[in-house]
Amino acid sequence: MTTPRSILDITDLRKDYVTGDTVAQVLKGLSFSVYAGEFLALLGPSGSGKSTLLSILGTLLRPTSGSMRMLGQELSTATDAELTNFRSRNIGFVFQYHHLLPDFSALENVAFPASAVMGRETDAVLLRAAQLLDRVGLRDRMHYKATKLSGGQKQRVAIARALMMNPALVLADEPTGNLDRENAEHVMALLARINAESGTTFLISTHDPDIAARCHRRLTVIDGRLAGIETSSGPDDAGHRPMLAAE
Amino acid sequence: MPFRLKIATRYLLSNRAQSVLLLTGVAIGVLVFCFMSALINGLTQYQITQTVGAIPHLTFEPREREPRVISGDKATMVLPAVVNGNLQRTQIRSWQSLMDSLSADPAVRVAVPIVSGNALLTRGQAVGSVAITGVKPEQLSDIADIAPNIIAGTAELDLDGILIGARLAKNLSVSVGQPVVMRSDRGRERTVKVRGIFRLGIESLDERVAYMNFKAARALLDLENGVSRVEVKLFDLYAAPPMSEVYGAATGLKVTSWIEKNRRLFDAIQGQGTTGTLIKVFSIVTIVIGVASALLLTTMRRRAEIGIMRSMGVSKEFITTVFVAQGVLIGLAGATLGAGLGYSACWALAEFAKRADGRALLTIDVAGGNYAYGIALATFASALAAILPARAAAKIDPLEAISQ
Repeated sequence: MTTPRSILDITDLRKDYVTGDTVAQVLKGLSFSVYAGEFLALLGPSGSGKSTLLSILGTLLRPTSGSMRMLGQELSTATDAELTNFRSRNIGFVFQYHHLLPDFSALENVAFPASAVMGRETDAVLLRAAQLLDRVGLRDRMHYKATKLSGGQKQRVAIARALMMNPALVLADEPTGNLDRENAEHVMALLARINAESGTTFLISTHDPDIAARCHRRLTVIDGRLAGIETSSGPDDAGHRPMLAAE
Repeated sequence: MPFRLKIATRYLLSNRAQSVLLLTGVAIGVLVFCFMSALINGLTQYQITQTVGAIPHLTFEPREREPRVISGDKATMVLPAVVNGNLQRTQIRSWQSLMDSLSADPAVRVAVPIVSGNALLTRGQAVGSVAITGVKPEQLSDIADIAPNIIAGTAELDLDGILIGARLAKNLSVSVGQPVVMRSDRGRERTVKVRGIFRLGIESLDERVAYMNFKAARALLDLENGVSRVEVKLFDLYAAPPMSEVYGAATGLKVTSWIEKNRRLFDAIQGQGTTGTLIKVFSIVTIVIGVASALLLTTMRRRAEIGIMRSMGVSKEFITTVFVAQGVLIGLAGATLGAGLGYSACWALAEFAKRADGRALLTIDVAGGNYAYGIALATFASALAAILPARAAAKIDPLEAISQ
């Protein structure tokens, strides 16, 4: 077994929402780590703080206090511009709703993150985007406009787009929530395959116990607190990772 | 193509109906801008040509004499009295040196020494009062365009000939070749022949002015050495006011600019210029409001997309540029179209809209449409108008936008 390499360390993370005189504590001191190559599930009932946590991990939301260290960089105190730059290079998103750009083709959507960073749509960028679309089984649909694709195809394009910058962490928020059973199965199988083949780290927020069961570890958040961390082989302490994908 | 420009173009092309409407709005704004420029410039040129074309830009005259005070006994009231200055004709004695200075001035197109005075023109029982303008024959048309406007006879100014206006000729029932008697206000008399009759279209000149040979006029008006005034045409007629001050101070003469003498005309030209500017400003403001509101709507409609771009790490500056680029593209395309249409409309009106006598129905200066300026201004205004929606787009919270 290889020594687990942590890519994300969360320590005593808190998030409060203030409305007038009322302070709602949504996250109440979370601490855990995410390791390179992990396939991790984030579980919890509605209102547990799961989405808030995912937003903070995606650097779209700032924590009220606590530390969030990713790839050796402290992000809780970074400026907006630093967070934007960090996000563009190291974090990929797959949302419940695909959020593709409707006026662009599948290929252009996948190439978008790299083209935006480089300022041009280079041949190398388009080649990589085409390879990613091939990998998600949409080689023959790459020039289709996003609006011409089915729901499952759109979500696969969104997955390819999340992988475009070869991010250290892909955050997936209910990635199968809008899909039928068959498409959901395809998407999950695809994510698992990418994780197994490339060692891409996934953190998947889900309600579905079947999806959670396919992950290496399961973090359960209840009422803003980490209620438990469970590995595929059984309950475990935070920070310990008994099973890792090939690195 | 830069990626930001590609996105801006794609956004514009994806909503063709809105883009076409926006383009049309900008084009109409620039069309109005160019058309008004051509119209106002044409009108101004016409008015200036009609009025200033026949008068000097600067007139050098001797200063009028100050009234002398005649005091009586100390006990009696002091009464000012004006000694009649007309008894002694005012003149510029050192006009030759003035002519030398004016000839050396690069701003001066032409300087003409003139001898002038009043006379009665008699033909049989008919008598007409005229203002004699004695001018060197070769300089006859340097100030007023006499020669091309001769309708009978020639523009030759020999020692025994005069040129009179059509109105005066009609009043005196005189025609080319006939003799008339001139009696000047100095009491001198001379018989001259009408060599030519002109029509300038300016009532005061056509009815009152008689042109004479410079030397003949000197003798008739008893001005053997000096001249009555020196008239000057400049290359830039709007340089007249400052030059009148400079020359007035330098020569001690009374130097009057055409603007001073035609204040009402100048005010009218300025007034119509201001009106034209206001119309042009309003057309540009309309463009700004149209572009800004359309792009704000686009910002609202594309809120989720902007949010997803931001979540992918696209910077605020990137989003701002995409929206400003849309403004620039719309402005440039619409303005070019508008300027093209404006030019076509001006050209067609100037070419085809004629009165029965062949003159243009509208005084349009086709070349004065400020087309390039209109394009540049409208493009700049569109870019400026896009800044507000661009800033609004850049401020969109990605989390909020994605959640919607």
